[in-house]
Amino acid sequence: MTLTFIAIACTAALVYNRLVPDRWRGWMLMGASIVAIYALQPFTAIRQLDFVLPTFTLVLTIACWLFTRAAGPFAQDDYAALLFTVVLVLAVSATRYLVPELRLTSRPPETPLVALALILTAGGIVLLWRTPYLAHDRLSIAMLMLIALLVMIKYEPLTIGLSSVLRSWRGQDVTLAASTDWSWLGFSYVAFRLIHTLRDRQTGQLPPVSLREYVTYVIFFPAYTAGPIDRAERFAIDYRALPALTAARLTEGLGRIVVGIMKKFVLADTLALLSLDATRAAQVTSAGGLWLLLYVYAFRLFFDFSGYTDIAIGIGILYGVQLPENFDRPYLRNNIAAFWQSWHMTLSGWVRFYIFSPLSRWLLSKPKRPPLILILLIGHLTTMIVIGLWHGISGPFVLWGAWHGLGLFVHKVWSDRTRKAYLRLRQRPRLRQAWTVLGVALTFHFVLLGWVWFALPDLESALSVFRRLFGL
Amino acid sequence: MDETTIREQLRAYITRDLIRDESYPLTDDEGIITGGLMDSFSLAELAVYIDKTFGVYIPDTDLTVARMDTLDQIVARVTQV
Repeated sequence: MTLTFIAIACTAALVYNRLVPDRWRGWMLMGASIVAIYALQPFTAIRQLDFVLPTFTLVLTIACWLFTRAAGPFAQDDYAALLFTVVLVLAVSATRYLVPELRLTSRPPETPLVALALILTAGGIVLLWRTPYLAHDRLSIAMLMLIALLVMIKYEPLTIGLSSVLRSWRGQDVTLAASTDWSWLGFSYVAFRLIHTLRDRQTGQLPPVSLREYVTYVIFFPAYTAGPIDRAERFAIDYRALPALTAARLTEGLGRIVVGIMKKFVLADTLALLSLDATRAAQVTSAGGLWLLLYVYAFRLFFDFSGYTDIAIGIGILYGVQLPENFDRPYLRNNIAAFWQSWHMTLSGWVRFYIFSPLSRWLLSKPKRPPLILILLIGHLTTMIVIGLWHGISGPFVLWGAWHGLGLFVHKVWSDRTRKAYLRLRQRPRLRQAWTVLGVALTFHFVLLGWVWFALPDLESALSVFRRLFGL
Repeated sequence: MDETTIREQLRAYITRDLIRDESYPLTDDEGIITGGLMDSFSLAELAVYIDKTFGVYIPDTDLTVARMDTLDQIVARVTQV
């Protein structure tokens, strides 16, 4: 998200609140979000992929809505939303006939070709939807396909292989194939939103949502790039009653945006000059210098991500949608479980709902139940390794996840064993305060050391930094 | 099963198996999770217990601090079905 984009979003919010009648606001948000996903998608080296990827995001979203909707006739609003989406996609593709400065992407494919591709894709989706023998497994198949797509864009050898295939097909230089050819903006978040609705439909938890509500929820432009990961039923409540922009909301929204800009573009970007990365790690010779780089990295990461979230929430407020919070003073938490309840809260909530809790319950319910301690270890390790893999399929991310999984496991065992003593501290406030301060320092440094896995590109350099941090 | 029986069974289970201190005086409106007495794994254990004992399935998305923090909230969730 650039400063230009933020400025456009803020200016458009004022026009939207001043000129758009209440009943058209939902449509405006949907249309703005569709246009924004093309505008935000970075240029890709493979020709026209920057048009194809956002279009595919829309196709997946509409397919998942179709699979998750309850039986019954389609509403007029759903037909209108589908038509609106198709018209906007064709309009974006028609920008190929304009001067490059007026295009949202690099030169899109020819509009008739896009129309034909959309018709064929729609036919395929309807076929999948109406095939009776797939009826029972359709939701599971859709979830597996989304997971497969996530693996495809996050596992470097696969992305390079796929890039080679596409380059060869497009008549481009195959030797230049790189994982960066597949920068599918926002898909990690889109996939988790879609999986949430598919899984909730499977368990009967998803309330009915219209196509317009569903598409806007999945690609809502302030949260499209990097979250927060809202929940469909919560988003729909806001979307159905978009409030007028009062002075209080304007102040709140702009205030969050200003705070976010300060955090992301001033603090984080300044700290980035002294933040840990492979090059600086190789240049620094002393352990003290490495510790400094690591502290700076930890705060840069926090200010960058929480600043982005502030901006997203602020823009959401200007348009009448209250996105969920993602950070709540995470570096001041006195244990690792509390840290994960306050760092990237919507992601940790998602994995708790769809991985940790169902996995733990399944293991706890087995007739031959494994020992409790083993269930605990499996639950925490699996959940946190999934979070690691979501960031990228590589050894350091797996180890970062395992680091936190083990941390959560040890904390749980420790807190179960020391709970009585901890409760007695309630009568001794000073001692309790000292214990809390110690907990904050310990938790912060555990998280800090974990960032070594996160910051460095391979295991060898991460292990080298660990050795040097402790003078080994 | 009446509400009082459900409440007392839940109170006994939570103090014995989750807080692991049967003498703990757990009150009806005390924050069990926010007070540091239970965590997300305990919530999963509690959900399995409620399913087996009362035949009430609580979805994973309901196992949150906002909905299951006090004994009052847990009893309300069990008896609402």
